[in-house]
Amino acid sequence: MLRYTLGRLLSGVITVWFIATATFLAMHAVPGDPLMNEKATTPEIRQNLAKKYGLDRPLPEQYVIFLSNMAQGDFGLSFTQQNRRVNDIIRDHFPVSAALGVLAIAFAAAGGILWGALTALYRNRLPDVIIMFLVILGISVPSFVFAALGQLALVNLNQWSGTSILPVAGWGTLSHMLVPSLVLGLGTMALLTRLMRSSMLEVVNEDYIKTAKAKGLSAPRIFFKHQLRNAILPVITVLGPQIAAITTGGFVVELVFAIPGLGRYFVQAVQQLDYTVIMGTTVFYGAFLVLMVIIVDIIYGFIDPRVRLK
Amino acid sequence: MTASSLLAVKNLHVEFETYGGTVKAVRGVDFAVQRGEVLAIVGESGCGKSVTVQSLMGLIPMPPGKVTAGSATLDGVDLLTLNPKAMNQFRGKEMGMIFQDPMTSLNPTMTIGDQIAETLKVHRGLNSTEALSIAKDLLLKTRIPEAERRLQQYPFEFSGGMLQRAMIAQSLACSPSLLIADEPTTALDVTIQAQILDLLKELQAKDDMAIVLITHDLAVVARTAQHVCVMYAGQIVEQGGVDEIFYQSAHPYTVGLKLAMPTNVGDYNKTLNPIPGSPPDLFAPPTGCGYAARCPQAMQICHQQNPPLYPDQTNPGHASRCWLQDPKAPKVSALYQPNLIASDRS
Repeated sequence: MLRYTLGRLLSGVITVWFIATATFLAMHAVPGDPLMNEKATTPEIRQNLAKKYGLDRPLPEQYVIFLSNMAQGDFGLSFTQQNRRVNDIIRDHFPVSAALGVLAIAFAAAGGILWGALTALYRNRLPDVIIMFLVILGISVPSFVFAALGQLALVNLNQWSGTSILPVAGWGTLSHMLVPSLVLGLGTMALLTRLMRSSMLEVVNEDYIKTAKAKGLSAPRIFFKHQLRNAILPVITVLGPQIAAITTGGFVVELVFAIPGLGRYFVQAVQQLDYTVIMGTTVFYGAFLVLMVIIVDIIYGFIDPRVRLK
Repeated sequence: MTASSLLAVKNLHVEFETYGGTVKAVRGVDFAVQRGEVLAIVGESGCGKSVTVQSLMGLIPMPPGKVTAGSATLDGVDLLTLNPKAMNQFRGKEMGMIFQDPMTSLNPTMTIGDQIAETLKVHRGLNSTEALSIAKDLLLKTRIPEAERRLQQYPFEFSGGMLQRAMIAQSLACSPSLLIADEPTTALDVTIQAQILDLLKELQAKDDMAIVLITHDLAVVARTAQHVCVMYAGQIVEQGGVDEIFYQSAHPYTVGLKLAMPTNVGDYNKTLNPIPGSPPDLFAPPTGCGYAARCPQAMQICHQQNPPLYPDQTNPGHASRCWLQDPKAPKVSALYQPNLIASDRS
């Protein structure tokens, strides 16, 4: 298990290096640079700034400097935000995005497993039909629509009740997080529901379920002890990539609900070609996602004994 | 079919509703199992063997399956009328069952020990420690070495033969009076097959347990059973003691099965004699005898009317569903009785 984990971590580091290099090259391939805005008014100022940020050096040299700084955990200064270090931006805003993302994943996983199991139990009957209709809706409607609708619902709720039951926007307490994370996790929840449903229906036809019946076990016992655990396996497999989708897809929801997350900086940086912020946030996100996938794989090993020993 | 039979199945009919129509999988099956005996049900794939025993255990998916008529009494209780809760008092406790493929019949994410212990916990109300210690004894009883360590292992760490032993251990946990073995050796290689059969026979003798053994392998029947039911197209076409079935076969299908068996008697260059044709379509079973279309001895009446069960006048308990046994039937010279299994019987 330890060797497996170490191996996974090593391949994770290589993946992150790959992400960093690809982003670096792609970023420099984009025409223009971060100094092409109103700040660099004359060629002299522009040259001075280029010198200050090291942009006058050849690309391979920049790459080496960037890599060695990154290896020491230093992402450098932002181009567009005066004297703000990229590390500070990440430290200030990532926890917000992470909290939102974790809650969203929790909603998605719990909801997906619950609804999926329920639809399989009521296969082709009314609850199944209703939930599966909502699932199609959840998969096909983009999150910004749900975000806007969710916010509208909150406004109406607060108006109707006369007090502020749940805040419409902003950040700070758990009540700020509930609706945005639900909205953020909705698509994933729908996806997991569908997966869980088909997985449950597959497991129900397995021979070991017949064995469990032949043992005289009660239906709830068969459901919880034999069916559920085996059916959850494929759901956990896709959870890793889904964490990726949720944390990177969060910026729209963050924007709508005025949440000071990292997503906004990420998008802004790309628009303004803020090299250091692009690199910092991309590499950081990449590393975070790789870590999440590894964690999911390790959890998988605990649930499925067949993975553990390999 | 005496009153003291452990299990008595009478006039069992099972149907399946499908998109293509209704499949009449079992069409009036009667048999009885006495305490402590091995009854073999033989027949080719799709003849209704598995459906028959699975309906006894309540394992037929309903819908699409449906028991349309008949009764199956175990110790005086009709299993077919029980609600699921009452049924669970019998399943695993009074009746154990083992399946064809041990590789897929055990839960892959549960240890072997927990799976065996589960039956004991549910039916005897034991706690985990007690149940696991009995589970260990059961593994030893089924000849699994290092039982202590094996209890902690998962099915993927077992070989096929060992998994089937674990399945047997599990089904015997509550000392059932009846064990249903649905092709227990089909998925195993020949050596393991012999070991498993010997184990079953030994355990059966020790605990005075009855076994209903489903198989399509006549060698397995000869090796283990005292009584045999030959099934064809959802009906029992011949039943009787193992000697009568093998040496005084009264139904042409039984003879056909014997002829189709590979043998080590005589010439090695002998080719196999498969039964030509295929079983009838059970969406619309024939009005006459199900075997008539493939039967070399078929008469006109065979295609028109399904024969009743004719008891053998000289051997009580031996009976066959064949018009040839009718007193009015032309006396064909005794059915050809190939001597195939002489060297196989121990």
